[in-house]
Amino acid sequence: MISRRSTFKAAAGVAAAASIGVKAAQAADKVVKIAIDLSFTGADADSAARVANGGILAFEEANANHTVPGYTFLVEKFDDATATAGQYDPAQAATNARKIVSDKGFVAALGPQMSGAGKAMAPILSQGDVATITPSSTNPDITDPKFAAQYRPAGKAIYFRTVATDAFQGPNMANYMMDVLKVKSVYVLDDSGAYGVGLADAFQAQAKKRGMNVMGRDRLDPKEADYSAVLTKIKSLNPQALYYGGVGQAGVKLVKQAYDIVPGLIKAGGDGIYGADILKGAGFPAVEGWYATNAAPHVTEDPKTKAFGEAFYKRFGMYDEDYSVTCYVGAQVIIAAVKSLVTAGKPVTRDTVRDAINGTKLADSLIGPVEFDANGDIKNKIISVFQVKEDKTKPLDDPDSQFKYIGVAQAIA
Amino acid sequence: MTSTDLLLQQIINGLSLGSMYALLALGFTLVYGIMELINFSHFNVFMVGAMVAMLVLQAMGVQGQDTIMTGLPLIGVLLVGFAAAMIVCGGIGVGIERLLLRPLRAVKGPPAMITTIGVSYVLFNVVLLTIGTDAKNFPNPLPPIVWHIGGAVLRLREVLIWAIALVLMGALTYFVQFTKVGKAMRATAQDPEAARMMGVEVDRVVATAFFLGSALAGASGMIFGLYYNLAKVDIGFGAGLRAFTAAVLGGIGNVPGAMLGGVIIGLIESSSGQIVGAAWTDVVIFSLLVLVLVFRPAGLLGRIAPNKS
Repeated sequence: MISRRSTFKAAAGVAAAASIGVKAAQAADKVVKIAIDLSFTGADADSAARVANGGILAFEEANANHTVPGYTFLVEKFDDATATAGQYDPAQAATNARKIVSDKGFVAALGPQMSGAGKAMAPILSQGDVATITPSSTNPDITDPKFAAQYRPAGKAIYFRTVATDAFQGPNMANYMMDVLKVKSVYVLDDSGAYGVGLADAFQAQAKKRGMNVMGRDRLDPKEADYSAVLTKIKSLNPQALYYGGVGQAGVKLVKQAYDIVPGLIKAGGDGIYGADILKGAGFPAVEGWYATNAAPHVTEDPKTKAFGEAFYKRFGMYDEDYSVTCYVGAQVIIAAVKSLVTAGKPVTRDTVRDAINGTKLADSLIGPVEFDANGDIKNKIISVFQVKEDKTKPLDDPDSQFKYIGVAQAIA
Repeated sequence: MTSTDLLLQQIINGLSLGSMYALLALGFTLVYGIMELINFSHFNVFMVGAMVAMLVLQAMGVQGQDTIMTGLPLIGVLLVGFAAAMIVCGGIGVGIERLLLRPLRAVKGPPAMITTIGVSYVLFNVVLLTIGTDAKNFPNPLPPIVWHIGGAVLRLREVLIWAIALVLMGALTYFVQFTKVGKAMRATAQDPEAARMMGVEVDRVVATAFFLGSALAGASGMIFGLYYNLAKVDIGFGAGLRAFTAAVLGGIGNVPGAMLGGVIIGLIESSSGQIVGAAWTDVVIFSLLVLVLVFRPAGLLGRIAPNKS
């Protein structure tokens, strides 16, 4: 078994060596530089290495296959995490964005991993006209036209995503409840936080639109310990399902008390309850059966990505994760955009690449059809649904083994 | 569920909450009655009680919701848990009084109260840094016995909580009314100076009040854990504020008033969650408190003592 640290070092070393090798072999080609900004230090380092390698693999394949004749892609990594922060650091992310902008060789970027870094980078990249494709950041604000003045002051969309945003977890889960779980009546709760209220509102609106009977809506105070009154009320109304928009603080207590008072209900929430918090704090048996969603496709278990997973493992000696695949697809978009420019005989510059990315359509990528709207959001918004199913053979607080992937929640108008 | 069942169920919910608030309110009222001091450290002494009970139960091998006990082992485990939480919290209470508040007793005004706020945050941060911020799965050895009364559900743990709260409140009432130390406490509450002249050891009385109040906070910490199967570093603020409100509503300084206030707040909380929505609970509780105080400024059972200005 390779330790996390050595895996990362090895991967980074291999990647660096690879880009140098490629450069030397095809020195006659024009070089297109691509930046990958992820959080390579601290809490998310392990994941960052896997994500980056997804993108690197795509560019290596393109270089080896001469996908874009006469052009070679050169990938350079930027680390937006610092040892002091122990995770991503918005200040470092901003510095990286300035570096990328000031080097005219970079025509596009992949990343960042985290929404917090994205918020710091987006305005700078916008001013520099550098398009980036994020494989994993799901905060809706960055691409929301409401905040365009803040995150894309230069006007055009520069922040593209190969994942959906949090804004779609609620509506898509409403569809899933309606169509897959055959739920006709639901009670909606939120935890008074910005995330939770937004999620619950979005769920409720879509549930109503689809004709589900929303029997009530209430707000939990996360500082409060007792939700028995509202749960007893829910019990008396007897809906088929309960939807909770919120994070773990109120979630843990809700999960416990709902198990006592309304054990028979179908219970669901967003990615705020997907994680170790709920498993540890509420524990089994209370948490058993809860549904949770994630704003990203869960593709590592998809047969379609088997060949990718094998190639990835062969190349890097580590397993891929979902965001390795979204990063790989993001890189494919950049490659396709550059190729379309070259084929059309247009110059490969930042603004042409940006426009080309916005116009690129991949009919059938590993995550399905990829196409962006005018704000940079992916049109095919995939929300993955998970359900807690106790697996006693694995650690009971490990989300990867206790939350079972059960399918995709569709976006239906 | 019929509306009668629903009412019954919300009364059951409210009484359980109320018992916990009542025990906690007693701590505020005992200290206030004797020293006219609002002891804000009480909030987090309660939280420490829950944490101590959790650690002790875990040390006895009760893990999460998986260990179910019955009979004597159950009683033994519960007794040890309660004893540990009450003794540790009582000790903390005495320590706070002896080390931090006694030197300030001669000082008029807010310093003592500010000190208790400071202690509250110290306790909070000590637990935060040692045990952590995440919600802990409080070990619960109670068997899942349930009685159905019509459509309402009564669980063993609710009955147990009422029983424990009643026993503790009865014991306290007996202690304050009929024992020598209790009489000394009442005398000190009425007029510390006169009590001292009559030979009452005021220091001991004050220490006793702190011990008893904090021990009851420890017991309600354990009750909180058993009821919600949860312990978390921030539980003190929510429950503490409700309990303090209960003490004021009942008449701060008045022992039966604190119990009554606790039960009333518990019932209001469950009925307002039913009728106007959980988000409005605080609005309802505090509006009622203000209304009561407008018409009875000393609280429901409180009297404005003539010899204290």
